[in-house]
Amino acid sequence: MNIRRIAAVASKEWRETVRDRMFFSLAFVLPILWMLVFGYGLILDVENIPYAALDGDQSARSRDYLYRFQQSRYFDFKGALTDEREVEPLLASGRIRAAIIIPEKFGERLNAGRMVGVQTLIDGTFPLRTDITKGYVIAINSAFNEERLVDYISRKSGISRVQAEHRARPIKLDVRYLYNEEVRSSWSMVPALVMFTLMLSSPLLTALGIVREKETGSIYNIYSSTVTKVEFLVGKLLPYALISSLNTVVLWIMATRWFNVPFRGNLLFFLAASLVFVLCGTGLGLLVSLLVRTQIAALIITIIITMVPTILFSGLIVPVSSLGPGSQFQAHLFPGMYYTNIVRGTFLKGIGPEVLWMDVLALALYAVILRFVGYGLFTKRPRS
Amino acid sequence: MKAVPGAGSQRAVIWWRRLIVMTRKEMLQLFRDVPIVAFLVYSFTLAIYITGNGIRSQLHEANLLVHDADHSISSRELIHRFQAPFFRLNGQVLDSREGLRRLDRGTAVAFLEIPPRFHEQLMTGEPTAVQLLVDTTNSANGLSVASYAGRIVARFGQESAFDRGGSFGDSSPDLPLITSDHRVWYNPDQNEAWFECISHLLRQITIFALLLPAAALVREKERGTVEQLLVSPLSPFQIMASKVLAMTLVILGATAVGLFGVMQPVFGVPIKGNIWLFFTLTALFVVTTAGMGLAAATLARNQGQVGMMTLLVAAPMLMLSGITAPMEAMPASVRAVMALSPLRYFIDIANGILLKGTGLNILWDSVLAMAALGASLFGFGLWRFRRQFQ
Repeated sequence: MNIRRIAAVASKEWRETVRDRMFFSLAFVLPILWMLVFGYGLILDVENIPYAALDGDQSARSRDYLYRFQQSRYFDFKGALTDEREVEPLLASGRIRAAIIIPEKFGERLNAGRMVGVQTLIDGTFPLRTDITKGYVIAINSAFNEERLVDYISRKSGISRVQAEHRARPIKLDVRYLYNEEVRSSWSMVPALVMFTLMLSSPLLTALGIVREKETGSIYNIYSSTVTKVEFLVGKLLPYALISSLNTVVLWIMATRWFNVPFRGNLLFFLAASLVFVLCGTGLGLLVSLLVRTQIAALIITIIITMVPTILFSGLIVPVSSLGPGSQFQAHLFPGMYYTNIVRGTFLKGIGPEVLWMDVLALALYAVILRFVGYGLFTKRPRS
Repeated sequence: MKAVPGAGSQRAVIWWRRLIVMTRKEMLQLFRDVPIVAFLVYSFTLAIYITGNGIRSQLHEANLLVHDADHSISSRELIHRFQAPFFRLNGQVLDSREGLRRLDRGTAVAFLEIPPRFHEQLMTGEPTAVQLLVDTTNSANGLSVASYAGRIVARFGQESAFDRGGSFGDSSPDLPLITSDHRVWYNPDQNEAWFECISHLLRQITIFALLLPAAALVREKERGTVEQLLVSPLSPFQIMASKVLAMTLVILGATAVGLFGVMQPVFGVPIKGNIWLFFTLTALFVVTTAGMGLAAATLARNQGQVGMMTLLVAAPMLMLSGITAPMEAMPASVRAVMALSPLRYFIDIANGILLKGTGLNILWDSVLAMAALGASLFGFGLWRFRRQFQ
């Protein structure tokens, strides 16, 4: 290993990257833009679910019941229906996602102390939304029911409303939210977006950089030079690792200063772990670039093997523990999951190496293995 | 122009023949790139299978830790209610400090604490409370845990109050309550595999439609072979259209493989609407998305730039068009920007035709929006391409 030759390869690569102004600026603009777009856009608190209601009763009770939906910020009232047949086309076109149908004699039956069924029709095309909608409907119904029950008990047994409330709900559930005390979507998304952004940008940058030489043929200069395999690979990866490391710092500043997400852990540990993660990303890019001949193939393969697993299997949206066995296996094969634990752990939980050492170790192993495989695949004597 | 009627039709034949030859050239070029073909096959078969099988966006087997300070029938009964598929009991701990440590480590997402004298208080009708600590580093998941736990505890409380009997001064089960009767349409069993594999199919279509034609065009520019094409009798439109046509055919073929080879036989995804309409509109979507990629390709000088530009566009499209997170959750400003994403319309079309069985009479506005978007993107790309070379 000769430091001067490494420096020469690295500076050549750096110049080439810097001189392609559009590529270079996109390498920095992309993370910032994504952080802004997703930090504001990727929110999972479903609100304003469009719904319509059919009030078959038109009594004070039914109006009181429907009023609860109108008042809720989770629902967005789209109009009153007069006929059940109107529901189908509205749900089919997606103009509403739920319909509430109140039967005749709703108020009368309740006042007489009898049960009454209310029908809710929910669009089932998006299971997450369906589940959340169902949860909101159940919550509104149980609040309504509890009031009716308290009324009923206090009237029947002649006790005060407070006592009746205890009887209607004997066990209280005290929920305490940890780490993200106000349960803000942005607090949980923004740190994970640091992972998302780095996971996508660093392999792509690297892969394109190396295949470019292969496709244009300038790699023959390397083949015929005195630069060794290790020197070439180290020098080649250095500029891309540097760009991604700079991006890590920028993303951290955006997360803490712009989105005001608390950072409770150790900054040094976070930066060190991020460096290991960046080395994984560049290693992945290296591997792809060695397996393909064309940039178009490098592009597609890098995007497929990074973007899809990062969206689905990294814990960004769906927690890894709720994945099926096959997907969990796949999740453990990609570095994203380990780094998600690290970012959420250091930002929100305030934990450090004492808990996260396993994840850092996994990333380090990953980076080392990728480099060994890359070293094995790279040859200065091209076949054919 | 057309002096002889036969000459016009002959010109048309030649025009079409040139287009077909170019399309064939693009296909040959694509199929000779073995890694791309391998990934194309993987993306539309195995990847769809894995995703349909594995992703669950509803609460599923959340790891629950319990500290039971009461050890009574009631506390055990309550703990027993936290069951699959929503929860998975992950053991008991002896004190709350240990519980917090396990939450820190991430081996549990919720920690339930049952106080001493829980059973006694419940039996005597004294108010009692149980505590639930929830990990909200994933906020949506945390809220879901709390909401399901709330339902379980409330139900248990009411039932145990009923069991004691007579406490409402009346034993008749008829109470002034509403029973809610939910009916989920279009996917009555809430089979998440349907949604996940349809979404995944759309994801793959988007990625390939965005990248393949764009990269093919910019590759010609980068290597200079585009100069050869431009001195040939081909028009710029033919050069661009042949690339789109070739990739559209390939993607449609892959979609058919994914739909009839994986989604229908393995996951039982229903095809309620007209399948020809589905493929026609998929073709329209591919062309529109390809137009987006081509517009980027005319702005870029090499494949590296085109890669970064398409990635810049692809990630927001995939994340915010309503296949990963529901549109209803997004702020109005983001929703307004997403009106520019063809995927935003195609998700309604795909779900509409496959799951809901709707036709053009309902989907026309989405189709129209997508077509308008496609036409303007394609027009922009063509204009830029012409200007660069003429």
